[in-house]
Amino acid sequence: MLTVNHLAKSYDGEKMSLTDVSFSVQPGEVTVIIGPSGAGKTTILRSINQLIRDDEGEILFDQVDMRQLNRAQLRRARSHIGMIFQSYNLIEPLTAIENVLHGCLGTKSNFAGIFSIYNTREKEEALKLLQKVGLEEFAYQQCRNLSGGQKQRVGIARALMQHPKIILCDEPIASLDPKSTITVMDILKDLAVNEGISVLINLHQVDIARKYADHVIGINNGQVVFDDRTPALSDTAVTGIYRKDAHSEGSLVHEF
Amino acid sequence: MNSNLQQVNHFFNKKRFRLSLILVILGLAYAGASFGLGFQTHSLLNIQDGIAWLIQNFIPNEASQGYWQEISQQLFRTFLVAVAATTCAAIGALFLAIIGAKTLTAAITVSWVIRGFSSLLRNIPIVAWAMILLFSFKQNDLTGFLALFFMTLGFLTRAFMETIEDFGTEKIQALQATGATYLQVIFQGLLPEIAVALMSWILYMIENNVRDATLVGLLTGTGIGFIFNLYFKSLRYGAAGLVVLSVIILVVTVELISNLIGRLLS
Ligand SMILES: Nc1ncnc2c1ncn2[C@@H]1O[C@H](COP(=O)(O)OP(=O)(O)O)[C@@H](O)[C@H]1O
Ligand SMILES: [Mg+2]
Repeated sequence: MLTVNHLAKSYDGEKMSLTDVSFSVQPGEVTVIIGPSGAGKTTILRSINQLIRDDEGEILFDQVDMRQLNRAQLRRARSHIGMIFQSYNLIEPLTAIENVLHGCLGTKSNFAGIFSIYNTREKEEALKLLQKVGLEEFAYQQCRNLSGGQKQRVGIARALMQHPKIILCDEPIASLDPKSTITVMDILKDLAVNEGISVLINLHQVDIARKYADHVIGINNGQVVFDDRTPALSDTAVTGIYRKDAHSEGSLVHEF
Repeated sequence: MNSNLQQVNHFFNKKRFRLSLILVILGLAYAGASFGLGFQTHSLLNIQDGIAWLIQNFIPNEASQGYWQEISQQLFRTFLVAVAATTCAAIGALFLAIIGAKTLTAAITVSWVIRGFSSLLRNIPIVAWAMILLFSFKQNDLTGFLALFFMTLGFLTRAFMETIEDFGTEKIQALQATGATYLQVIFQGLLPEIAVALMSWILYMIENNVRDATLVGLLTGTGIGFIFNLYFKSLRYGAAGLVVLSVIILVVTVELISNLIGRLLS
């Protein structure tokens, strides 16, 4: 599904934000990337759909390297990759259903996209997705009037409108209360289990990772220091991932 | 602990010193400027005599009531010129701002060129614009329109650019991530988000331009500015006062309407 090989990135040409990151993600699994802040989690996620360019290595999505695509090809590839964010990044003055319909911009002509010309099938699907995330009664509400948890669910519906093979989630629950956290995580887990979508989530809540992850990747200082599919994430492993000098101690990969 | 206390005292002493220095510099600047101009501060004490003269002469009287029709006609023309210039400039400014905003621009040099261009346009005083344009376009409404247009284009380009830059890149990237094209991102993401801010800049500029249009009309010999000049020079002070009064009423009305629109939008 998605394989990242030897990914490296420096923003300023001096300090490496990622050095030689490799991992792969399977369909139907929840993969969680954990690690301290500044470790490089966001950089990894944004490299996958090439919101961040000028990186090195290989990002194979459906056997094609995202880094080698031209503009039109990249647009098509992105239309299969959903993304949700800590700050939701919805267009606040627009209604929930309009934001969900943004998920099909990637398959529309410039003209139709600019003037919001959506066909009946697309509109029906958007309503169905809002129903799926429990927000059908908010379809015509401006997003600025929704709560954080509701906004994040609109974000998920927007991603689903793309018919994604993978959904990238950058700290999706970092601004949410405990109850909304569970709602959002349950929805994401359900997408992996019942629809076979790969879900790749940046987190820093270890307990959530333990509860939902099929696959945990630990990142510290731009390097993979942990990569395991066994469900239990031991305390020693966690300490290892969050250790200040984890990178200089040699790799902890497969040590557990 | 002790050294912390020293540090915090030092910090506040330094701030206080800086504030005193600024006050001293301002005082010296005023004293220097007054001296240079031969301006006598104590003549400010006789200001009430001047005001009394103004009131006696400029209060509109019965004779000046007959001018209402001409004044309201010219006032309307001036208003139209201001609105037309502002809306045309706003369209051009939005286009330039989108191309030039640092968060959207294709090349940073384009951004600098547009920034420089808009700075040039708005830093030429409106009076200078009017006088320059008089040479090629003579005394008519088009000259006033163009003078307001160029100044507004410069101002709004800069204001719109900052609005767009404040909006940031996160939401733009979120739409790009769905595979949306550049134009789709602009129309579906950027414009809905900044529409209210753009509208309030435009309304502010219309208010400003109604005032400036009066001044420009003085020079280009059109609109309300022209008849003010005419009445004034022919010593019809009452009528001239009526012109001033009508401009004030217009500007306040425009301001009230724009406040109302602003409230409806947000
Ligand atoms: N736009 C940027 N410009 C420069 N440096 C950046 C930028 N974004 C992130 N970095 C740096 O890259 C490193 C990794 O950041 P990030 O991927 O955001 O970490 P995380 O998401 O794990 O908190 C950090 O050291 C951060 O300072
Ligand atoms: Mg991050």
